[in-house]
Amino acid sequence: MIALDRVAKAYATAGGRKIVLDDASVAFAPGHNFGILGANGAGKSTLIRLLAGSELPDRGSIRRDARVSFPLGFGGTFHGALSGRENVAFVARVYGAAVRSTIRFVDEFAELGEYFDMPVQTYSAGMQARLAFGTCLAIDFDVFLIDEITEIGDERFRRKCAAAFRERLRRSDIILATHNSHTIRQYCDKAAILAGGRLQLFDDVASAFECYRRMLVEPSPCASPVV
Amino acid sequence: MSDDREFPPYSIDNQSFLPALAAGALDACLLYLTRDAGGGEGDAQRACRLAEALLHRGRREDAVACCRRALPALGDDAALLRICAWVFSNGGCHEDAAGAYRRLIELSPDWAEGYRHLSGSLAAIAASDEAIGCGIAACDLAPQNGEFALHLGRLLRDAGRCEEAGRYLDRAVAQAPDNARARCELAATCCVLGRSDRAATLALQAAALAPQDDDIAVDAAELLMRCGRAQAAADLLHHAADAAAEPRLCRVLSAAEMLCGRLEAALAAVDRAVAGAPDNAEYHVHRGHLLWQLGDIAGAAAALDHAARLDPASSATWRAQLSLYLAAGLVSEATAAGGELLHRFPDDKPAAEAVLHLLAHRLDTIDGEYVVLSAAERIPRPPRPMPGWLDRLRSQRRVVGALIIRETRTRYADLTLGYGWALIEPVLHITLLSVMFAVLMHGRPPIGRQFFIFYYTGLIPYHMFVHTSSGMSHAITGNGPVLQLPPVTTFDVIAARGLLEIMTDVIVAVALLAGFGAIGLAAMPDDLWGPSLALLVTAAFGCGVGFVNAVLTAFWRSWEKAYSQVTRVLYFISGIFYVPGMMPDWARDALAWNPVMQAVDWFRAGFFASYQPHWLDRSYLLVIAILTLLLGLGLERGLRRRLSAPL
Repeated sequence: MIALDRVAKAYATAGGRKIVLDDASVAFAPGHNFGILGANGAGKSTLIRLLAGSELPDRGSIRRDARVSFPLGFGGTFHGALSGRENVAFVARVYGAAVRSTIRFVDEFAELGEYFDMPVQTYSAGMQARLAFGTCLAIDFDVFLIDEITEIGDERFRRKCAAAFRERLRRSDIILATHNSHTIRQYCDKAAILAGGRLQLFDDVASAFECYRRMLVEPSPCASPVV
Repeated sequence: MSDDREFPPYSIDNQSFLPALAAGALDACLLYLTRDAGGGEGDAQRACRLAEALLHRGRREDAVACCRRALPALGDDAALLRICAWVFSNGGCHEDAAGAYRRLIELSPDWAEGYRHLSGSLAAIAASDEAIGCGIAACDLAPQNGEFALHLGRLLRDAGRCEEAGRYLDRAVAQAPDNARARCELAATCCVLGRSDRAATLALQAAALAPQDDDIAVDAAELLMRCGRAQAAADLLHHAADAAAEPRLCRVLSAAEMLCGRLEAALAAVDRAVAGAPDNAEYHVHRGHLLWQLGDIAGAAAALDHAARLDPASSATWRAQLSLYLAAGLVSEATAAGGELLHRFPDDKPAAEAVLHLLAHRLDTIDGEYVVLSAAERIPRPPRPMPGWLDRLRSQRRVVGALIIRETRTRYADLTLGYGWALIEPVLHITLLSVMFAVLMHGRPPIGRQFFIFYYTGLIPYHMFVHTSSGMSHAITGNGPVLQLPPVTTFDVIAARGLLEIMTDVIVAVALLAGFGAIGLAAMPDDLWGPSLALLVTAAFGCGVGFVNAVLTAFWRSWEKAYSQVTRVLYFISGIFYVPGMMPDWARDALAWNPVMQAVDWFRAGFFASYQPHWLDRSYLLVIAILTLLLGLGLERGLRRRLSAPL
């Protein structure tokens, strides 16, 4: 369960103050996978970081009685000067996971070969994504937070990811922010719409899509300007 | 054409016309009319008679042509007008028929049948309002006529005026109680009006009135099904079907059985229908649906395939096939059917929608990796207890430890000796300074016997303060990516940096002492506790300033540069390479406010038992250290929400 209690979050942009959440109280129940729909700039990434705890709300509180992952799809936690192995060891230490078995898992999963001991700054984007994906899967999270799944690697590796994910999802949930309605249909059984500072939860994906489609056709008057 | 031998062409004139017509020489008469007739009243009459005869022979177009020729010259001859109207009506020219009947009604306005005929013609050319008006006129003129009422009732129902239709059909049934068709029509109207009980009763009565009439049976059964009485419909049709296995009857029987839930019986019935009419595509589609419901996917596919071949122009058949394959999970076959559907019916909206639905489904299951798990597949997970303060402390220790390890790896990561430089740098610094001053200033240092030791006692506390306070200042700005990891807080990164600086400086201090001892200098401090305590308080002071610096730098990047100027000044006013005692009193009193100078003198006072300056105030430094530490921690805590801004 990740419960938002009267959470407010806004940040300043060149185009003025951007409200992501305005007094939002929402609970993401355990045992469900949530997709988050929202226009570009509605603050989906910020919401994911708030849920993760990477960012703190301006007001209100977020309660988590589950172990929540760092936002997957964000490889930026890695230090370019450190090797893949050292970076994985760091994340394992931070989460109190066994360093050796975590490193072994990622080494096997990400298939980086010799590059595993080379500085991350020498990696291609795909290799970084594989490292991030493997690291996230290696740690026993209850909820995976995913900000825009990008295509990783070739067909074979994608299948491997899907299989690993499928196995993980037997015990863990995901909260997924993406533009790709297909991805949401593929992974989620519930959905939420983030728009104009409001986070609206739907019991099924289809009705969320229907509502979202209607919102796109006739934007609600309270929707804040998209920067 | 034996008749024409008796009356060869060109031989007929207006005298011999009627005998020739009576003898059946129609072509000869027609030739006379088209070639020789003048168009007078007599010829008009002859044309009408010929048209009548032609129509009886089934030559509609010739008959209609004759009447058209005759009509302008007919005048008010009602008998001939009736012939024309009848010919037009039966020849399919309802507009002409309507014109003729109108003229007839003008001649005799009370002619009820005329209104009835006009209404029929008008209905045939879709002038329904006018047709209804004429039908009402007919019924008003002849209220006892059941057929008129039946006709009008049908027109009204087709126009959606069901209440009125019900009234006239009621009248029709009352006038002709044994007319099964009238009861059927009334039943259909009742059904539309939602009076399903009455509709069912009427339908059953109609079927009982005409037990041999298959059309009535089929209509009655369909009405019963629409009224939700599938069982009654099935019973009715069973009776009729036992007598004659008419395919249409069997088809409707199959529908009734299906609605009753008896799929096997429904299949048997549709099989009989197919046997009777093997070329009806719709029967095969229905049979396919039944087989599908019975679970025979292959049989259903074959039936739909057959239907598609019989009626390739119907998109419904192909759509049925597509949905069958989709429901059976045969996605590739469904896609093939969808392709065929689009290819054959590019402008068909239902077809396009069916294919769209298929494609959405196919996208969902691409690669066969449909990840949404049902609740049964999940392993329930107990909620984790909220971490207690001890757990949080452990987690924080882990995070800070991980950050320290990471820091030692990343700082000077591009140099061969790596973090070793953090140790080598101050050692070189102290060694170089000592050698320089020892060469420049002959004799003894202000305290002790060795310049090395003197500078050492000044530089170690100074470094402790400067390294912590400025090392921590870019802890937040330099650790943006790490702060994205939720367990890592701004406090953790600042504290880790501070701790690392303290550990480094302690190691440097001890290593230098060991080095001095190794080269034979009497380097051991007189008191071990004093310098240690002094370093500890200095470190606390440095950390306090460090926290403030880290927060200030996060908001104002240039603060780091400004602060480095402060440390440079501190180098000269903190008594590192001199003792404050050497200065004038006013200067020394002013310098005594400098906490770093107090730190240096506290360290020296412990190191050298003989050095006990009266301006040294240990509690002053302690209070300053505690206050700055509180200020720094408070700033970090208070502004934490704004420090975790997006990258």
